[in-house]
Amino acid sequence: MRWPSWKVSVMFLLLLFSALAGLSFAQQAADSVNVVQVVGLSGVKEHAKGTLTVENGNLQFVHSKAKVAVATTAIQDVVTGNDSQRMIHGFVGTLTMFAPYESGRFLSLFRSKLDTLTIKYHDSDGGLHGAIFMMVMGKAEPLKKLLVAQGAHTSIPVQDSSSGSNPKTDLAKEQKP
Amino acid sequence: MKRSIQVFGLCLLLLSISLAIPKWRVKAAPPPVSKVSAIQVLMIQSDEIKLPAEFQISLYENLIQQLEKKGGFQDVYRDGDKNAAGASDLVVLHGTVRGFKKGSEMARQVTTVTGKTSIDVHCQFTDKDGKSLLERDLNGKVMFFGGNLRATLDFAKKAAKLAHDNFVAKLGS
Repeated sequence: MRWPSWKVSVMFLLLLFSALAGLSFAQQAADSVNVVQVVGLSGVKEHAKGTLTVENGNLQFVHSKAKVAVATTAIQDVVTGNDSQRMIHGFVGTLTMFAPYESGRFLSLFRSKLDTLTIKYHDSDGGLHGAIFMMVMGKAEPLKKLLVAQGAHTSIPVQDSSSGSNPKTDLAKEQKP
Repeated sequence: MKRSIQVFGLCLLLLSISLAIPKWRVKAAPPPVSKVSAIQVLMIQSDEIKLPAEFQISLYENLIQQLEKKGGFQDVYRDGDKNAAGASDLVVLHGTVRGFKKGSEMARQVTTVTGKTSIDVHCQFTDKDGKSLLERDLNGKVMFFGGNLRATLDFAKKAAKLAHDNFVAKLGS
């Protein structure tokens, strides 16, 4: 059976398009990270959800209502850490605390691990600010590497992944005094 | 006659006591602390205690937020802010962590009675020249609901109240 040439060319175009789309999606996934801003960024509400991006020498937090940028060179310290939260959290999580037969307590046992990224930076007047971001496990260290590569300072050197160390244990170790 | 003199003397004694009590109360009240219009918050130090970075930042940021929220101070300056040098009546808040116990949110939610997170901070208020005006140990804790960082908010509320009660000029005073 022989395929018509136009069908072959359409299929080729589709394959090319999907490959390019996949590549751009992968790039976006690598550069921008979904985070929760716990506290610190001026003009952003506490526990606001948004995306964190490092590009053109800026750390950018994009939120539905606000867009805040901090120059990476103004960042005095970047530290990663880890934490955990209930699988079912937020308003629904609070409601489950009143569930019958202490089942809310049982649900508290199911938790998801989180990474935290803490930054200290100076504003134009020299005032010291701090901000804390929470994100899914394994995202904080790459962000820290990007920030340091673009001029941010850190009191704890970036872990070298080529040394064959386990990133999970590295994250657990890095808790600044 | 003798009895009426005794009664008169007793009345006089009671009257003098009743007049003296308010004066004594006024004397017992704490001396007025100088009122200021601006405060500068320095970064919380934790040289002796191992404190995670997120707790240090959360203590500092919540403290500034609570001072701004509480009102009373015209300006709340951050650590390193150049504009603070121009403020005539400025009080500087130094905080040093003296104790820290990181509890567990899961333990709190499961058992209710364990997993408390607690932070002890020594607060010192000084003037621009570094002369101590007030020192107090404050504690922040989370016992039941909320994440571990909530202990920093508890501390910040207490510190902001302390600053407000001692350094904010009340209307009519």
